[in-house]
Amino acid sequence: MEEARAAFLAVDGDASYISGGQSLVPALAMRLQAPAVLVDLSGIADLRGVELQGETLRIGALTRHADALTHPLIARHAPLLNAAAPFVAHPAIRNRGTLGGSVSLADPASEFPAMMLAMGAQMEIFGEDGFRRVPADDYFIDLYQTALEPGDILTALYVPSVGPHHRWAFDELARRRGDYAMVGAGILAHMDGALVESARIALFSVGSTPVRAPGAEAALAGRLLDAKTIADAQRALDDDLDPPDDEHIPAAMRRHLARVLLGRLLQRLGETP
Amino acid sequence: MTLTINGHPTDAAPRAGQCLRTFLRDQGWFGVKKGCDTGDCGACTVHVDGEPVHSCIFPAFRAKGREVRTIEGMRGADGLHPVQEAFIAAQGFQCGFCTPGMVMTTAALTQGQRADLPIALKGNICRCSGYRAVEDAVHGIAHTEQAPQDAPSCGVSLPDPANHAVVTGAVRYTMDVPVDDAAHLKILRSPHPHARIRAIDASGAYDVPGVIAVLTHADAPQACFSSARHEVSKDDPDDLRILDDVVRFVGQRVAAVVAESEGAAEEGCRRIKVDYEILPAVFDPEAAMAPGAPILHHKDPATSRIGAPERNVVGEVHGMLGDVEAGFAEADAIYEGNYASQRIQHGHLETLGSIGWLEADGTLSLRTSSQVPFLVRNALADVLSLDPALVRVACGRVGGGFGAKQEMLTEDIVALAVLKTGRKVKHEFTREEQFTAATCRHPVRVRVMLGARRDGTLTAMQIRVVSDAGAYGNHSVGTLFHGCNEVLQLYRCPNKKVDGFAAYTNTLPSGAFRGYGLSQTVFAMESALDELARTIGVDPFELRRLNVVRPGDAMRAYSDHPHDVEFGSYGLDQCLDLVEAALARDESVPPDGAEWATGQGMAAAMIDTIPPRGHFSDARVRLTEDGAFELTVGTVEFGNGTSTVHRQIAASVLATTPDKIRLVQGDTTQLGHDTGAFGSTGIVVAGLATERAARAMAERLLAEAAGAAGVAPEACHLEDGAVRAGATAVPLSALAAQAGGTITVEGHSTGSPRSVAFNVHGFKVAVNRGTGELRILKSVQAADAGRVLNPMQCRGQVEGGVAQALGAAMSENLRIGPDGVVETPNFRSYLMPRFVDIPRTEVLFADTYDRLGPFGAKSMSESPFNPVAPALANAVRDATGVRLTHPPFAPDTVHAALAASGAACE
Ligand SMILES: Cc1cc2nc3c(=O)[nH]c(=O)nc-3n(C[C@H](O)[C@H](O)[C@H](O)COP(=O)(O)OP(=O)(O)OC[C@H]3O[C@@H](n4cnc5c(N)ncnc54)[C@H](O)[C@@H]3O)c2cc1C
Ligand code: FES
Ligand code: FES
Repeated sequence: MEEARAAFLAVDGDASYISGGQSLVPALAMRLQAPAVLVDLSGIADLRGVELQGETLRIGALTRHADALTHPLIARHAPLLNAAAPFVAHPAIRNRGTLGGSVSLADPASEFPAMMLAMGAQMEIFGEDGFRRVPADDYFIDLYQTALEPGDILTALYVPSVGPHHRWAFDELARRRGDYAMVGAGILAHMDGALVESARIALFSVGSTPVRAPGAEAALAGRLLDAKTIADAQRALDDDLDPPDDEHIPAAMRRHLARVLLGRLLQRLGETP
Repeated sequence: MTLTINGHPTDAAPRAGQCLRTFLRDQGWFGVKKGCDTGDCGACTVHVDGEPVHSCIFPAFRAKGREVRTIEGMRGADGLHPVQEAFIAAQGFQCGFCTPGMVMTTAALTQGQRADLPIALKGNICRCSGYRAVEDAVHGIAHTEQAPQDAPSCGVSLPDPANHAVVTGAVRYTMDVPVDDAAHLKILRSPHPHARIRAIDASGAYDVPGVIAVLTHADAPQACFSSARHEVSKDDPDDLRILDDVVRFVGQRVAAVVAESEGAAEEGCRRIKVDYEILPAVFDPEAAMAPGAPILHHKDPATSRIGAPERNVVGEVHGMLGDVEAGFAEADAIYEGNYASQRIQHGHLETLGSIGWLEADGTLSLRTSSQVPFLVRNALADVLSLDPALVRVACGRVGGGFGAKQEMLTEDIVALAVLKTGRKVKHEFTREEQFTAATCRHPVRVRVMLGARRDGTLTAMQIRVVSDAGAYGNHSVGTLFHGCNEVLQLYRCPNKKVDGFAAYTNTLPSGAFRGYGLSQTVFAMESALDELARTIGVDPFELRRLNVVRPGDAMRAYSDHPHDVEFGSYGLDQCLDLVEAALARDESVPPDGAEWATGQGMAAAMIDTIPPRGHFSDARVRLTEDGAFELTVGTVEFGNGTSTVHRQIAASVLATTPDKIRLVQGDTTQLGHDTGAFGSTGIVVAGLATERAARAMAERLLAEAAGAAGVAPEACHLEDGAVRAGATAVPLSALAAQAGGTITVEGHSTGSPRSVAFNVHGFKVAVNRGTGELRILKSVQAADAGRVLNPMQCRGQVEGGVAQALGAAMSENLRIGPDGVVETPNFRSYLMPRFVDIPRTEVLFADTYDRLGPFGAKSMSESPFNPVAPALANAVRDATGVRLTHPPFAPDTVHAALAASGAACE
């Protein structure tokens, strides 16, 4: 890792780390980026592996999208990643793309970064002063801008393991099935029967970063998950969002779709025992 | 680095930043295809250590020490891989350019993934097939048939003769040849929608090691031409130079750099300094025609044949039959509406490109991806003042066309570069260039006014059509005329009026696109007829039956001019019945939930089977010394299936099987002339020439045999490999020997008279009123293709046309921003249908026999596209009460339309 950082810094930052390359190489092919040096992270053993450390799942940054679908520890302890994975790209891309790459890039239309928020994950970063951990809530700063400083390496994702009282749901609305979403969301709720004790809701494709929905979360907390609660949460969601008014999908449309989606997810949360 | 490729230990060093795709192709593994550069299409799929990856976004250096397998490595010691066999048996392809990737992806699927193909094949785009054939291949369903030994093969689903080569990656497309000795050409493109070039400083480019030459407008001939290619080259306005000192759209060529490597050529482009004088630009065709608009082409209308350059009008059409005012006065119901079809791209998976060089005798030779090699040769000779006899244009297999390759967009600059440098020069479009510098379908606005009596009889039809030509005229006049023609000819109304305009704007030039101007007007007209039917309470099928032309009717659009279009056969009545019955017997179950609304819709379309004013084909049949036949045609194969059908036709006449007919195609040195494979002519024109050549050969053989056996020719008949003359069978080889070694005959066709083909489409849909999602529950198309010579392939043409039209109707939109910049320059943003997006379409054929076409056949390749969008809009109207007028009907558009009319729900 030291060596990788040194290689990166040696060219005054005119470098890119490469993990799966599934976002970076298209950007190179489109001539959107032309770094002098690519620093390949794939040989760093410390960035690999998935292991349970007490109540926390450590997911190495190089863990591939395909593993999110198939790895038993991820399915068991971080099921939201497992639920989101089929929506990400295609099988061939998932064979190469990494969770660390996705979270480093922080595309606001991406599924995995938003799930870091929903799961309350922590990002482990190797930088100038060695390792540090940044909670997801502080990690996403602006469009493609994260807590990663130039030269920093995202090393692992630490995800709190779900317990027997957790329920989760994930879905997205796309122009065309399988495309980047017009709106997407994941929910992780701690429930006692039909009672929502607490919930974390994260949405993507609604702004320049993935976002939490504190208003909607508050509308759920301590309430029975019934039609009225769902409607309240949907209403509260409006204040949580500030979607861009781009020409192709007007803000009002995104708000509407987000409400529809939240309604569907909460419905599903209520149905899963 | 060392690695293993298809079992071969390989030692080679990738270039810095090189991806695995180009690395493998550099090693000669041409089965690895390029469809994009961004991981979106799957054409480049290979296996690395057994896992499928998209090699275009896999850094080559990472293959070090790995096992790489390409399509060429799929066949085992005991034959083809089962997936390859399955793609042959189902003929899971048309042009075949996607096939290597499809096979590689399919071969790696687990049982579970096979059960969910919409997800498993999400990363593989096929533009030709509509995916039904691919799905059948994956599931091992066979469709190809054997040629019968004792009956003519017309009417049988014979396989593509190249099928083995397609599934093994051996077939050679344009760029699948070694180019070690070639220089590479890259284009510097305009960042401005309208500018005059004051000066170009290319010295920086020459500083780049490897740069050989920089071409600018100073190197280009002054002569203007049109990138559009037609039999009559004067059909299209001469408004384009190879390199010009005025640029009229973002993406237009400013300079070309020829260098030893693509990288050097690109770097050369970056180092060129251009001083632009920015000119005012106009992006809207109506605004462009208004007084005071910036003028794009200050050219003499007499020599350029631009309709009215001072008003930015490329061409216009005005005409009236009867008296529309009287017609509307007599109507009980009048409908008026505005429709607009958007800009879309062809999306053929093989991008444009050519390779050019000088032969030892000075001939300029080009290998190119074209539908019209003969017309390209003529144009090059014209523009560059060369002797046509010293220009050769030839094609490999072409990876899809859809009209885009009826255009000269790479050959001219390559030819110029070859002549300037004396080098072999290669120029290949990136996918981004396909979106920003090739052509697109004309965006067209149509205002429709219809009048009808209470009983449904049409009394007046009027359209006003405004077509956006983009910065250059090319196919604008042709598509405008065509777009205003059959759409009105289809209905027998006494009063019709047309006003049509094609106007220049500072945007990407529009060009020939499947349907050639009709899809946009048919969308408007068939939507309007649906509204009219609703207003007067007549069933939409009945409204068509009441008003469509029937044999005996004069087919008139907006003038009384005599024409050469006839009813070679008539199957529209059957098509209407077939679709109506299919919708009625459909038992699809709509999705659960109150937010879903369901409905059904239909639309009809007619198309002339051949473009007007002459479409010529020569064909030659040669009996070789060994008694085999060689058929030479000018038409290239780009997935349209002509190489199968031409052999079927010849074999049927010559009493043999198609496998005994060797085909030579698409090379200007091999034959007199062929207008080309556009306007759906591959079978009805080139096929007719083939039939005529084959009949001439048959006659000649009978005469030769009669002479040899001393009997009358009437006493002779053809058998497979021989002519039976009375009691003796004279082998063909003996006849060849008798005639001095070989016998050669020719056939010719002129593309006149022409017939008409019909298509009727029906949909049942469900629309989610909460999200705008549109689900197709049932899709059915009936086609009158005359006698269907190859049912499997003809069905494929319909399915592919429907799929492409569904893309246009539901998701595709080549967007240009307010600054004239294309906003959708890749497959990530330009949404072509994937497997998951395309429902199965039931394809039904009318039973007719066309007296004009070869063996009773009509054309069937463009027309299936045309009725799809209106049938879909009509179904949505039926479901929701909302009329959609501006495709694509993506969920956001649909929802916005529902919300605007209060039909949406939470
Ligand atoms: C056809 C296609 C479809 C796709 N569809 C989707 C989709 O639907 N949803 C979605 O979310 N994504 C999608 N992607 C993106 C894909 O998931 C990417 O692989 C992923 O976002 C980036 O992961 P990677 O490992 O490939 O990163 P890379 O491409 O290697 O890197 C991406 C960026 O992150 C940096 N980086 C990578 N790793 C680290 C690290 N450990 N520390 C610091 N910086 C790092 C790189 O320097 C680079 O700037 C798609 C990609 C393709 C090609
Ligand atoms: S060429 Fe690699 S995915 Fe298109
Ligand atoms: S056959 Fe699939 S792209 Fe042509």
